[in-house]
Amino acid sequence: MFSVDQNDEGVVRLSGRLDAASAREAERVLDEAAGECVIDMTELEYISSAGLGVLLRTHKRLLSDGGIRLVGVSPHIRDIFKYSGFDKLFPIEAA
Amino acid sequence: MRLEVKRELSELKRIVAATAAFFAEHGIDARLRNVVDLATEELYVNMVLHNTETTADIRLEMRPLGAGVEVSLTDFDVDRFDPTRFQPVDIDAPAEERTSGGLGLFLVSKMVDAMTYQYRERQSKMTFQVGQD
Repeated sequence: MFSVDQNDEGVVRLSGRLDAASAREAERVLDEAAGECVIDMTELEYISSAGLGVLLRTHKRLLSDGGIRLVGVSPHIRDIFKYSGFDKLFPIEAA
Repeated sequence: MRLEVKRELSELKRIVAATAAFFAEHGIDARLRNVVDLATEELYVNMVLHNTETTADIRLEMRPLGAGVEVSLTDFDVDRFDPTRFQPVDIDAPAEERTSGGLGLFLVSKMVDAMTYQYRERQSKMTFQVGQD
């Protein structure tokens, strides 16, 4: 089960499993993000390379405005960012 | 555990459920789940996206191995495609130069204990192990 929404402050909240089957749904919302984009991952349980691809494309699109910033990242997902080198691409705050 | 899965990404839900049931049945450390789920998804999606010459189901098999698990995915009636021979990813490259291509197989190679590829009689079989003592 995956869900994505954007609150009144513009924070995008991801929850559940961001995999190859749900990546398009995440991209649909993140394509609408503008400026520096904060993504709350507190409720995100799982991410695969398909989800990483969505984050990377969003970050590159918004790079001139500050890119994306991730908050509430779990230790497991932080490991994925470390192995992929994504921890060097954008700010990541632990859960 | 043996499961035949269609070549549709919506099957990921069934794969995750079967993996959870397998872990529970065999009392395998739940902390291994994320790595097993990730490696299984990446290899399955790789087969679905690259082996487009077949419509056959993909076979997923799991068995306990020591304190961990061994997972195999077999694709039938396909050309040879060895996912262990992937292009390395430059994880130090700046965002402007990064792409997501090849990232899945790269992650699998970093996170599993061992990964092997067999190709015989037009069957492509990937096997990986996680959580070995």
